[in-house]
Amino acid sequence: MRVSPIKGHARLSRWIGPASAWIAAAVVAAVCFFIVGHIVREGYAHVDWKFLTTDPDPSPAESTGGGVRIPIVGTTFLVLLSTLLTFPIALGAAVYLAEYMDERWAVTKAIRLGLEVLAGVPSVVFGMFGVAMFSHGVFTFMSSSGAEGSDVAFGRSFLVAATVMAIHVLPFVIKVMEEAIRSVPLSYRQGAAALGVTKWRAIRRIVLPAAAPGIATGVILGMGLAAGDTAIVWLTLGGTMNMAVDNWWALDQIVNVLRGTGSTLTTFIYFSSPAGEGNAPELAYGGAMVLILLVITLNAAATLIGRARRQTR
Amino acid sequence: MNESLRTPAPEADEAAMLLAELDRQMIRAERALERNTLIDVDNLEVRYGSNVVLRDVTFDVPANQITAFIGPSGCGKSTALRCFNRMNDEIRGFSMNGRIQLGGQDIYDPRVDVTELRRQVGMVFQHPNPFPMSIHENIALAVREHNPRISRDELDGVVEQALVHANLWDEVKDDLKRSALALSGGQQQRLCIARALAVRPTVIMLDEPCASLDPISTARIEELLLELVADYTIIIVTHNLAQARRISDDVAFFLMGRLLEFGDARRVFEDPLRRETADYVRGAYG
Ligand SMILES: Nc1ncnc2c1ncn2[C@@H]1O[C@H](COP(=O)(O)OP(=O)(O)OP(=O)(O)O)[C@@H](O)[C@H]1O
Ligand SMILES: [Mg+2]
Repeated sequence: MRVSPIKGHARLSRWIGPASAWIAAAVVAAVCFFIVGHIVREGYAHVDWKFLTTDPDPSPAESTGGGVRIPIVGTTFLVLLSTLLTFPIALGAAVYLAEYMDERWAVTKAIRLGLEVLAGVPSVVFGMFGVAMFSHGVFTFMSSSGAEGSDVAFGRSFLVAATVMAIHVLPFVIKVMEEAIRSVPLSYRQGAAALGVTKWRAIRRIVLPAAAPGIATGVILGMGLAAGDTAIVWLTLGGTMNMAVDNWWALDQIVNVLRGTGSTLTTFIYFSSPAGEGNAPELAYGGAMVLILLVITLNAAATLIGRARRQTR
Repeated sequence: MNESLRTPAPEADEAAMLLAELDRQMIRAERALERNTLIDVDNLEVRYGSNVVLRDVTFDVPANQITAFIGPSGCGKSTALRCFNRMNDEIRGFSMNGRIQLGGQDIYDPRVDVTELRRQVGMVFQHPNPFPMSIHENIALAVREHNPRISRDELDGVVEQALVHANLWDEVKDDLKRSALALSGGQQQRLCIARALAVRPTVIMLDEPCASLDPISTARIEELLLELVADYTIIIVTHNLAQARRISDDVAFFLMGRLLEFGDARRVFEDPLRRETADYVRGAYG
């Protein structure tokens, strides 16, 4: 038999898959670069040391004053707090789902359904729920009380926002962590079991260390989601530009800060942008640029951790 | 002519041969008496779901010998092996009938501590599976599990001894902190053997331990097993009949879930009782 040359349509079909994949990737990259480029172009002139180190000026008339110091601090507080709440719960749930649950159990199905529903709920709904729930009197420990002598809580504070945020990001973080744990080769678990190592110790000493980079990716994903969310912050952190506590840096104020209201970069953008409630687009772009830099840094950290993992293998 | 005087030799020879044969029989009988059974398998039947994968399996594994399991793919060799350290317990749908005794104790007795059983009955897998951590930690991990209060020095001693026994020490002694995943396949497999040795087992089971190794690494593992058999009881699953011939004392031939033939390796290979064994040994089955 003779080797026949590739026919025209065969040649075409051979190219069509890779080409469309390439085009799709290029479109995504282009859109992404366009948005980031636009924000940087608009915001860049306004981001300087002063912008980063002064607090927002909430007076609507003053459109060019004020910076993002408090919002940066607020975003940091909120991200750290919600991560602190998310991490242990997400890790525990992921270990349970990946290692102990039987997919045939009704409990497992209920948990999986619950997580899916939770992942599909828009964050504004969580925000509404959060304020309603945490305004209840039993939660006065989480936010300063509404009025003197009243038995309802204010329902808006860093603690409330972080809790609601944790619930919001939990399903995504659990998913990533569960995948990370599942991707640890079965042969490690078998090897450990065959040596008489108990399952729990094998998980702690072998599986979790092997999955650590993936788990870290989950944490960083959760941080990115928390840093970028607006609706929850807007509703549960108090709809303000500044913090309830002026001297928030003082250690003895920590409880008051946590129970008080505040702002983050996303609410800063919302309150300064004409697209939201403000009339200072240059401030909004400046804040957006800072936020994007923050998120890119988090992503870079995730990539670096991933690379470190490949090197230790 | 006095024939009987002239040719006394034939009868004398015959007598001598008879005597020699008697002697051999005696020795074999003695060996059988001495045959120090460590694992006693009685009427084993295994199912996965409704699928019967082993039936009617009865034999005994003598101590300080190498017993080889041979047979075509899917005949149940690995399943039989996993019964001895109860690794089958983890498989969904597994159920078992019959009895397996280790040193006279029923290992499926509900009072048996499975982790302790697995310490005693070590297992090495077809593909080397060192943990993604240092060489030292690979061995130390399980040692600590069984001896949580072991001191650092003692632990280092155990690690060294295990590596020496597994013929790996000289190759890795300079850097025990190196990742085990950086070792070659043959070294990894010897590390897995060291890991099993470190918890002081009585039995070491190996499921096709050389399947992914080159001939030189394979030869090193075979040498190692021949050294280890002085102190341990070894069971090896292998598709390599030449290997089984080279190193095993006893051979168990499985076919479609049944133990068709079991006995002295030489006898099974050279004078099999069953036609199926003869066919397999000649290479008729996959
Ligand atoms: N986890 C399992 N679940 C269900 N059936 C299984 C499982 N493991 C093995 N089996 C079945 O049990 C039978 C025996 O399998 P086993 O792995 O013991 O064979 P083997 O002799 O070790 O084969 P090989 O030489 O290919 O390793 C096969 O028919 C196989 O399909
Ligand atoms: Mg097998």
